[in-house]
Amino acid sequence: MALKFELPKSGFNFDNYNRNLILESKGLKSPKTIKTGTTIVGCVYKDGIVLGADTRATNGPIVADKNCEKIHYLAPNMYCCGAGTAADTEFTTNLISSKLELHRLATNRQSRVVTAMTMLKQMLFRYQGNIGAALVLGGYDVTGPHLYTIAPHGSTDKLPYVTMGSGSLAAMTIFENGWKKDMSREEAIEIVKDAIESGIFNDLGSGSNVDVVVITKDKTEVLRNYKRPNERVKKEQSYKYPRGTTAVLKTSIRNFVDVTEGVATPMDLS
Amino acid sequence: MADGRYSFSLTTFSPSGKLVQIEHALTAVNQGITSIGIKAANGIVIATEKKSSSPLVDDKTLEKVTMICKNIGLVYSGMGPDARVLVDKARKAAQEYKKIYMEEPPTLILVTEIATVMQEFTQSGGVRPFGVSVLVAGFDEKGPSLYQIDPSGSYFAWKATAIGKNMINAKTFLEKRYNEQMEIDDAIHTAIITLKEGFEGAMTDNSLEIGICYCEDEEFSLPGEAGFVEGGKKIRKVGKFRKLVNEEVKDYLANIA
Amino acid sequence: MSIMSYNGGAIVAMKGKNCVAIASDRRFGVQALTLTHDFQKVFEINDKIYIGLGGLATDVQTLSETFRYRVNMYNLKEEREIQPKTFAHLVSSTLYEKRFGPYYCEPVIAGLEKDGSPFICSTDLIGCTTFPNDFVVTGTAEQQLYGMCESLWEPNLEPEDLFEIISQALLNAVDRDAVSGWGAIVHVITEDKVITRTLRGRMD
Repeated sequence: MALKFELPKSGFNFDNYNRNLILESKGLKSPKTIKTGTTIVGCVYKDGIVLGADTRATNGPIVADKNCEKIHYLAPNMYCCGAGTAADTEFTTNLISSKLELHRLATNRQSRVVTAMTMLKQMLFRYQGNIGAALVLGGYDVTGPHLYTIAPHGSTDKLPYVTMGSGSLAAMTIFENGWKKDMSREEAIEIVKDAIESGIFNDLGSGSNVDVVVITKDKTEVLRNYKRPNERVKKEQSYKYPRGTTAVLKTSIRNFVDVTEGVATPMDLS
Repeated sequence: MADGRYSFSLTTFSPSGKLVQIEHALTAVNQGITSIGIKAANGIVIATEKKSSSPLVDDKTLEKVTMICKNIGLVYSGMGPDARVLVDKARKAAQEYKKIYMEEPPTLILVTEIATVMQEFTQSGGVRPFGVSVLVAGFDEKGPSLYQIDPSGSYFAWKATAIGKNMINAKTFLEKRYNEQMEIDDAIHTAIITLKEGFEGAMTDNSLEIGICYCEDEEFSLPGEAGFVEGGKKIRKVGKFRKLVNEEVKDYLANIA
Repeated sequence: MSIMSYNGGAIVAMKGKNCVAIASDRRFGVQALTLTHDFQKVFEINDKIYIGLGGLATDVQTLSETFRYRVNMYNLKEEREIQPKTFAHLVSSTLYEKRFGPYYCEPVIAGLEKDGSPFICSTDLIGCTTFPNDFVVTGTAEQQLYGMCESLWEPNLEPEDLFEIISQALLNAVDRDAVSGWGAIVHVITEDKVITRTLRGRMD
């Protein structure tokens, strides 16, 4: 296909691998990738699934993103929270989402949660944990609500309430203490919110806001920034510099021209 | 036939400069069931007759109007199995595009992609050209567009066109009926009566397949902007493709009779 | 020592009111040895998009050529200018393709969207994108820049004020980074023009 001459197709490229090994063997350390740190949770309730996540991304001790999105779209009836290496969670869920869409087009049926779970675990297992994605997968299909966790090596769990990421212990305390069978929608969102907040305040890898997704039989609601418990205090005064503060050596201004179609006026040749 | 001795080898030039295999492929298309495509002011309509070889065939499983991705669909005339391969490749190409740019492919990009596949099958060893022509309907940022792709891999943009068995009559009919102000509803109507011209037997919702491309408002928030922050949700126009369900087709048919 | 600090450098991009700014230092050195002070780290993608590449200098140049190639192919094939968001995803997927043998480079992107609203984005070396509402930073002076930007940045800055804020943030940040500095360059992109200024900074 034409595309392949311009842009390589899927699959990883190892061109730089050996060079990077040499650089590392000379004592130059490889930089850290952005991690999500993360508290992610999910729980089953009477009518479906509630997923929750914090919104902090970290690069070592630095907060790389204060309001990132960790609940990824997989299918209209399925979402997936990601913890671990942020790029891996993003691209793994995108890839599976793409495969699910092709599968839906080919079968004319709604995607099943087990299908997504199997695709994810097989992919992660194939990469032997080198793709650092720890996932919480939730959805509602013809066989009812399902909630899974998928570890980076490809093992899976199916449970009524799950937590993952560095804040998983903090979040799990909330579930162990308050989870009940057949909760109402409000109760379920509340306990998910509490679990995430527990991660936000007690785990340093998690922070900022609470994102929630509610999936029921025929409706999926994305409640982005459902709660914002860490709003920044407004600055009372401004640090604005007077114009001209910075010493400038050279200025060049490039004006854009608008090219409009129209009748050209003939050149005066007289 | 002078070209006869060249037609055994797949797509070889004849001394008169023809690629006989491609012409044969076009003949196969011209024996296929008629498909219609019409560009309306606010979208595209593609339609075809769903004809089964025997009344015993369960026609619910037949599908000739297919979705490629959210904003693009196609219909074919000619050999069903060939079209299926093409649809598979087109869907994959659309997903590849999405994986790189995180947006639906523009219609023309997907059309060239399909056309390239079809061209490769006129020049590769051990293969034969596709026995199908397809009409691709898409809605992208430049608006609605309708393309036809032939077995040779050439493609054309149309305001309205027809492919398959009855294409000449259908095109003449469309030339008379077409106007650019037509909306999707009128275009569906026109498509049905155009098909009706060459129709054998009674036209029912089961014997007609219609797909439409249109534009829809969608709520969105820019990356990094939480939906409710700063001026609330924004609305953008997105192209959509969908097939009409039997009930809808039935309603349109009722209006014609 | 990290590979990212082998050559040094600092890049920052900020949102303003219907404008964006992107700025970088101009030093190119090998560890403590400074070689030039006119090194290009910010590259024009089209009129309304600039990309800053921080990290290992050889990869900065390789990647800038890769992006130039891919964007040119996009322009030819699609017969349209690439939009900032689309470009950000192109950058991201280009980097992730080398997930297990990455370029040691962390890009920041600044641009104006079709409707004139500002766009900024940064990614890590394997293409994890972030789209903040205020500013993005990369390079060895990252920590200093975060500090400067968190205190100086405010919403709805006019192009002239945005220039002062981004310039002061960068100049003061690189003064506390031994391997960044030696002059700076700032691009402010507005609806109808790009203003490029080179700044006077400490040359030590």
